[in-house]
Amino acid sequence: MDELEEIKVTFFQECDELLADLENGLLAMQSGDSDGETINAVFRAVHSIKGGAGAFGLDPLVRFAHVFETLLDGVRSHKIDVTVELVRELLRAADVLADHVQAARTDGVVDEAASADMAAVLAALTASGGRIAPVGGVAPPPAPVVTPDDEIGSSFKPMAIMSLANFDEPAELPSLGGGAWTVTFRPKTELYRNANDPLLLLRELERLGPITVAINDETLPSLSEMDPEAAYLAFTVTLDAPVTEAQIQEVFEFVEGDCDVEITGGPAPAEAPALDIAALLAAAETAQIEMAPPVAEPVVAPPVAVAPPPVIEPVAEPVAPPAPASVAIEAHPEPAPEFTGVLASAIKTPQPKAPPANEPVANAQATIRVDPERIDRLIDLVGELVINQAMLAQRVIESGLASSSSVALGLDELEQLTRQIQDGVMAIRAQPVKSVFQRMPRLVREVANMTGKSVRLVTEGESTEVDKTVIERLGEPITHMLRNAIDHGLETPDERRAAGKPIEGTVRLAALHRGGRIVIEVGDDGRGINRKRVYAIAVEKELIAPDAVLSDEEIDNLIFLPGFSTASTVSDISGRGVGMDVVRRSVQALGGRISISSKPGEGSVFTLSLPLTLAVLDGMVVDVAGQTLVIPLTAIVESLRPKAEEVKGLGPQGAVLSVRDSFVPLVDIANALGFRSDKRAPHEGVVLLIEAEDGGRAALVADAIQGQRQVVIKSLESNYRQVEGIAAATILGDGRVALIVDVDALVAMRRRDNTRPTEPTLFAAE
Amino acid sequence: MTEPNMNLLDRRELISFRIGEQEFCVDIMAVREIRGWTPATPLPQSPPYICGVINLRGAVLPIMDLSARLGFATAVTSARSVIIVVKVGERMIGLLVDAVSDILMITDDMLQVAPDVACDRVRSFVRGLISIDSRMISLIALDRLLPELEQMAA
Repeated sequence: MDELEEIKVTFFQECDELLADLENGLLAMQSGDSDGETINAVFRAVHSIKGGAGAFGLDPLVRFAHVFETLLDGVRSHKIDVTVELVRELLRAADVLADHVQAARTDGVVDEAASADMAAVLAALTASGGRIAPVGGVAPPPAPVVTPDDEIGSSFKPMAIMSLANFDEPAELPSLGGGAWTVTFRPKTELYRNANDPLLLLRELERLGPITVAINDETLPSLSEMDPEAAYLAFTVTLDAPVTEAQIQEVFEFVEGDCDVEITGGPAPAEAPALDIAALLAAAETAQIEMAPPVAEPVVAPPVAVAPPPVIEPVAEPVAPPAPASVAIEAHPEPAPEFTGVLASAIKTPQPKAPPANEPVANAQATIRVDPERIDRLIDLVGELVINQAMLAQRVIESGLASSSSVALGLDELEQLTRQIQDGVMAIRAQPVKSVFQRMPRLVREVANMTGKSVRLVTEGESTEVDKTVIERLGEPITHMLRNAIDHGLETPDERRAAGKPIEGTVRLAALHRGGRIVIEVGDDGRGINRKRVYAIAVEKELIAPDAVLSDEEIDNLIFLPGFSTASTVSDISGRGVGMDVVRRSVQALGGRISISSKPGEGSVFTLSLPLTLAVLDGMVVDVAGQTLVIPLTAIVESLRPKAEEVKGLGPQGAVLSVRDSFVPLVDIANALGFRSDKRAPHEGVVLLIEAEDGGRAALVADAIQGQRQVVIKSLESNYRQVEGIAAATILGDGRVALIVDVDALVAMRRRDNTRPTEPTLFAAE
Repeated sequence: MTEPNMNLLDRRELISFRIGEQEFCVDIMAVREIRGWTPATPLPQSPPYICGVINLRGAVLPIMDLSARLGFATAVTSARSVIIVVKVGERMIGLLVDAVSDILMITDDMLQVAPDVACDRVRSFVRGLISIDSRMISLIALDRLLPELEQMAA
């Protein structure tokens, strides 16, 4: 049973990937890219989920996936045109499908009503050939639509076909026209445990008529992994007899629940019109199969099974359970070339053994699943290696060996290697932000529905890579920012019309690398921040003094203060008592920052910046008041030695540096961090010109520059706590701890210290 | 070493050390290692009893001047100064003390409540007093040294 659970876990992991593929494909279709391959990918995703779910007996999921698949099949065979409305429904269906998967995974329940509604919509779409019809206009006679309830029993066949496809010795079908029954019988372990014998059941079946039995050992593990008491085999029985389904079911009456039984085929008078096997075969031969999705499926089963015996197996087995429909369609030349040749030749020219056509879909992109802890351990070790290498290098220099000595040369090589190992290890954990972004379209749809707003989500930079540790924690702030953008940022359609804007609001989610950090931007083209109101609320809530003079930017950023919420009604979406202050706190805990810029009437942009990794950093090592500090290289624009006349006083305390005719505020690091209280003339030291996250510049004054070095970031928080102005710590070559300066925070601290007397309460809430 | 009448269950080992003229001790189970003094890198924006951080085999270890923490004068470090590395909850912290004296074996009934005369700070950091060979040794409540850190962080 444990093994089954393991397989199930894998299945759900694959479901996640498939759902992501599905959504990607649909989104591509939405943006007008509905070529054969895209549609095929969408179809395959749903199809594979259905197949897997069938194997685990997840009936509600299978039922829904089937209706979904049927519609997609119509789209794929160009019976249904891709329209904006259609794709919208498909996206909604994808959400419901995801719910089903989630419910199956957690043994939970789905919103049956919603699922049934969606299934009805899909069925109606299938029936109407893609025209959006009111729900209820289901199943016009000519193209009988399979509704969720009736399909599972009689017409749903992937199990049967899957097994058929796996015949070791393909069965010889006694008769085609008569409509043979195909019974797939998969005993569970309990069946044997309850002292039942499949042989007796098979004999029982034989009494109904001539049977052909094939065994399906697909799930049979290797001998070493085999549980001697578990059930691994399934039987596919072809029964050619004029019996009813009930009669067959009767055979399995006593083992109900202890086995999976699928009964398919049978004399199908209702499906008579499509039963022209010869024609179908001919069609397959010319690779021109076209079929009415719901009706054709059961019919195609026999031809596949009858196709020249030895060839079928390699064709069908590798693909994640192909339903008949998929096999037939993929024989179609354009969509899946790898299939065409094999199936066509299989049908045309029987060969003893065709070469395996393609690898199972899951193996297509070979990946390894590794316990993240192992990678983390590896990263820790590499970190130690880097430090050790640096210490060794320093010892060598101290020992007075010439830089041309073999030891020093060897050390250089070691350093190169160490770097490469480090990059390689970090790359293992780097992942594109796609995995987070993928979850967002659904969120946007839901929030848009809830608020009655029409929203288009534009994503950019999905392939931007970030360390896994960062990825994992991006989801929550992005979710909040998006909710906020739609709920508070965008206007209602009426308001937008009145303002002369397109009715559909646009929310932009972008990821980019900037200055060695990842920047996530969430922008909307809504009304922008109502500064007057924000100010009034801040005064009312005593977050600022009533007479505080604030810049627009400062007012905008008031919304990050704890206890601030502008929504006049607590809405279901973003008003769950979780404000932007919580978002900011969670971002800060990651070593990130969040800011907002807004233009009235044009919208707002939230900018979230986070470190790319929490592990290494290129830094400039400087001396400050006898201490060694590391300044992140990414922040540094240039370093210079200022002349005395370039330093100008500004006010009683402040000073600026004149750099090529622009004035940059001077920040003495030693003063800012409290290492030294007296002022020192900047021209006695070195100035590092830095650019802060918000684009602002500052000139940091240090005593001397030691050099550039890659350092391993060590958390201060794990044993101590966050220190303002300090991003983290590192260990230098001499084994001592050096602090890494948080440049932005340092500049902000100075700015605040200088302005505190005039704005006493602005930051009091922090 | 083991006295026959000692109850194995409530027996505990303590490491005792000196700060100025007074003796203190901590539970040996919390102690990870004892190491000599190495200069610490000072941390900005930190209370005076935090000397800074040192490198403990790749981890950044904050050093607490226990003398200052307990309300004595700020420790003067010397070659004999010792850092006792203790684990408190999930954190590791180094306690700077003047010198380690010895290892004591006591039973719980030897632990006396600190008398009322003690000031607030003593009472909050001292779990109890132990009398051995006419010496008085205060058992430090390690978990109470740190909560203030948590508050500062919040």
